[in-house]
Amino acid sequence: MPFAEFWTWLQALPLSEYIGFTWWFPFLESIHVLAVGLVVGSILMVDLRLLGVTALDYPASRVTRELVPWTWGAVLVAIVTGTGLFMTRASVYIENPAFQIKLLCLVLAGANMAWFQFRTFRDVESWDTATVTPRAARIAGVTSLLMWAGVVFAGRWVGHSI
Amino acid sequence: MQESLARALTDSQASEFAVYLLGNVPGLPPIAQSIHILGIAVVMSSAVMVDLKLLGVALPSQNVSEMIRRLMPWTWWALLSNALTGLLFVVARPNRYFYNPVFGWKFMCLVPAVLLAVLLYRLNKRETGYWERSTGRRVSARVIAAVSIVLWIGVVLAGRWIAYTEYLYFLYE
Repeated sequence: MPFAEFWTWLQALPLSEYIGFTWWFPFLESIHVLAVGLVVGSILMVDLRLLGVTALDYPASRVTRELVPWTWGAVLVAIVTGTGLFMTRASVYIENPAFQIKLLCLVLAGANMAWFQFRTFRDVESWDTATVTPRAARIAGVTSLLMWAGVVFAGRWVGHSI
Repeated sequence: MQESLARALTDSQASEFAVYLLGNVPGLPPIAQSIHILGIAVVMSSAVMVDLKLLGVALPSQNVSEMIRRLMPWTWWALLSNALTGLLFVVARPNRYFYNPVFGWKFMCLVPAVLLAVLLYRLNKRETGYWERSTGRRVSARVIAAVSIVLWIGVVLAGRWIAYTEYLYFLYE
């Protein structure tokens, strides 16, 4: 595993050991689940609008602009709490296939979000109120739904495989 | 009552079946738990989003009454799904849950949270724009929303802590 010394160093930190051996682990884990719920919940609303399934009374750009900040805020909390959990057994997690799949899903979800933001969203004026959204927007919506569901499944799997 | 219910469930065929499913269907425990978490996400995007809207912190361009009508049915379906995925585990190991104080706390949060969500939904259904008609109703809606959010957070946190009850007893010492 690349950076093997780094992962070993990370999990040997006093902070890592403190989290791992105290109630901080379940505490961070419960906040993590809460944050993940809000990440998936907020992006779900955007995705369903992009798919033309619901909230069609509102322009796609408004739905997106009003919800994505919630997603990013919750992602931030999930990353901070997730890092706290990860560092307790970094060298084990990093080699865990479920954890690797989770990271892959996260990267793909992020790439999909960036592609949508910088390509598909640029001409949003032309389809903002259309009830049938363009193919690129629908692909972004489906990809997002699948990747975030993948994050949840793989994430829950990590707890069963370590 | 709790003891007899736990014992009756433990001895039931339903329990035997749930134990069999969880032990023999490959990946069923994490799959059911993941679906349970996705259900939480749907509650976040429906009941909790309505609460955040009532508090005036989310979705400024959307209409309260229309939001309640459009989003709350998603809450009911998510709660049904979570009841099923949750029951699988409770029926399989009743003693693990019935004698767990954190499981009790979860339901002490869940039941009022659901009742408040039903209240928001029903009155809005009876009269469109119910929660915006007067200052009194607007204030009531905000109080309900604030209490609901705290309760939903309690449900999720307690839910995760069911597996860590021993840490709480450690804290008490």
